[in-house]
Amino acid sequence: MTQLLLFNVTNGLIIGAFYVLMALGLSLIINLSGVINFAHGGFLALGGYLAFTLSPFLGFWGALLVSPLLTAALGLVLERLLIRRLYGRDPLYSLLLTFGLAFIFEDATRFVWGAQGLPVTIPDFLGQPLSPDLFFITWYRLFMVGVVAVSVGGLFLLLRHTRLGIRIRAGTLDLETVSTLGVNVGRLRALNFGVGIFLAGLSGVLAGGQLGLDPTMGAGLLMPSFIAIIVGGVGSLPGTLVGGLLIGVASGVTAVFLPSASEAVMYVLMALVLLARPRGLLGEEGLMT
Amino acid sequence: MTEALHADSLHTYYGKSHILHGVALTVAEGTVTTLLGRNGAGKTTTLRSLVGLTPPREGRVVVFGQDTTRWPPFRIAGLGVGYVPEGRRIFANLTVEENLKVPRGRPGPWQIERIYALFPRLAERRGNRGRQLSGGEQEMLSIARALLLNPRLLILDEPSQGLAPRVVQEVFAIVARMRAEGISVLLVEQNVRMSLAVADHAYVLDDGAIAWSGPARALAADEARVQALAGATAEEWRAEAR
Repeated sequence: MTQLLLFNVTNGLIIGAFYVLMALGLSLIINLSGVINFAHGGFLALGGYLAFTLSPFLGFWGALLVSPLLTAALGLVLERLLIRRLYGRDPLYSLLLTFGLAFIFEDATRFVWGAQGLPVTIPDFLGQPLSPDLFFITWYRLFMVGVVAVSVGGLFLLLRHTRLGIRIRAGTLDLETVSTLGVNVGRLRALNFGVGIFLAGLSGVLAGGQLGLDPTMGAGLLMPSFIAIIVGGVGSLPGTLVGGLLIGVASGVTAVFLPSASEAVMYVLMALVLLARPRGLLGEEGLMT
Repeated sequence: MTEALHADSLHTYYGKSHILHGVALTVAEGTVTTLLGRNGAGKTTTLRSLVGLTPPREGRVVVFGQDTTRWPPFRIAGLGVGYVPEGRRIFANLTVEENLKVPRGRPGPWQIERIYALFPRLAERRGNRGRQLSGGEQEMLSIARALLLNPRLLILDEPSQGLAPRVVQEVFAIVARMRAEGISVLLVEQNVRMSLAVADHAYVLDDGAIAWSGPARALAADEARVQALAGATAEEWRAEAR
């Protein structure tokens, strides 16, 4: 029983880590540009598929780095061509456009790579369990959590200590004033979008190694990521981090006792949090933004 | 004398409402120019038109010889136009130090260390978040932030609004200091007497058009006009208090 619980808690944490990477990217884009990017899951899947295609040439490690970069590059192109036109408009337009993009992504991956699930080959040693007792924790799972921790840490350092990050945080509060201080806010938004998409691509590669690839893999992670943002408090990135881990674990634990409710529990959790704290757990004004 | 800024027949709208009806004004290089007028006359809109935030639908803005009418705000700032907006609009979620890292650094004498020397209070509070600052400190931060652009033209929108008299003195001392540094200043103010004391040239804006312009000294000498300008605002203050 303990082992079963432990297994599901770890599982929950790992799934939660995916939610966090995905949700942080979504959050960055919502906070600075007001665009709710429903195509985020599409970028995630693309990152995974690119890793599948590239790993025969670059190996797993090369693909782990290059695919998110390529995904981010495509993100920058789409931002330039399409997303940019949404800024300052009614949110309805961003829903329409990114929803459409999500469908295009899904069908394009299906067209290029096929509808069947594909495996991403991970290095052998990562596939081993830590020990016979902890058979359910492979080195790969630990590695994933490590990569997520490093990326999240890196993101927070970027936001705290670089001019780019400080401007992103300032722009979250008052983009107009940032522009009068000589900062090209168009470029700021583009870079911010690129960082968010990089995180999506990275979670795609990681998820591919764990769960395999599937054209709809991103769509399945999208809704929990939105819930993570809302639970943590819109506008607060630390909140997004907490929210993602929380709903991951909650759904993992619920899977032990009532497997059929493991998805519903996220919504219940969201409802409870919103009843108690309508702004989300850490949704105080501008905690870190 | 060369011109830091020249605006010609500006017509600016907010949506369908026509706010500016052909505003024209000039800031000569190295001088302080003040733009006065009662609330709702269009002072802030004029400034927003000049810095690119609310571009005029008609008319022309020339900054240091360049036609900037259709430029985005960041390019106008890049020419060396510092803007201290109404209500200060500091970044409340950032520390003082972080606030000072937002502006694009143009080369020039104004670097963070010199800013801290001019505003020792900001140096003391460099680790505090914007929202923890007093009104006076926020105003200093807002000015400091604009100075880091190393502006050749500084545009201030009601910097003394809501500040204690001692701090108001300090703000006007800074404006005078800027002129001494060779920075041209365009100052929008409610405090008519102090603005006229520091300014070289004055404009009076009424209903979105320039109603009077001339040397600040001439306007200051015209007690009836000063009374009308200052009185109008005093009446509005009383109205707001009610």
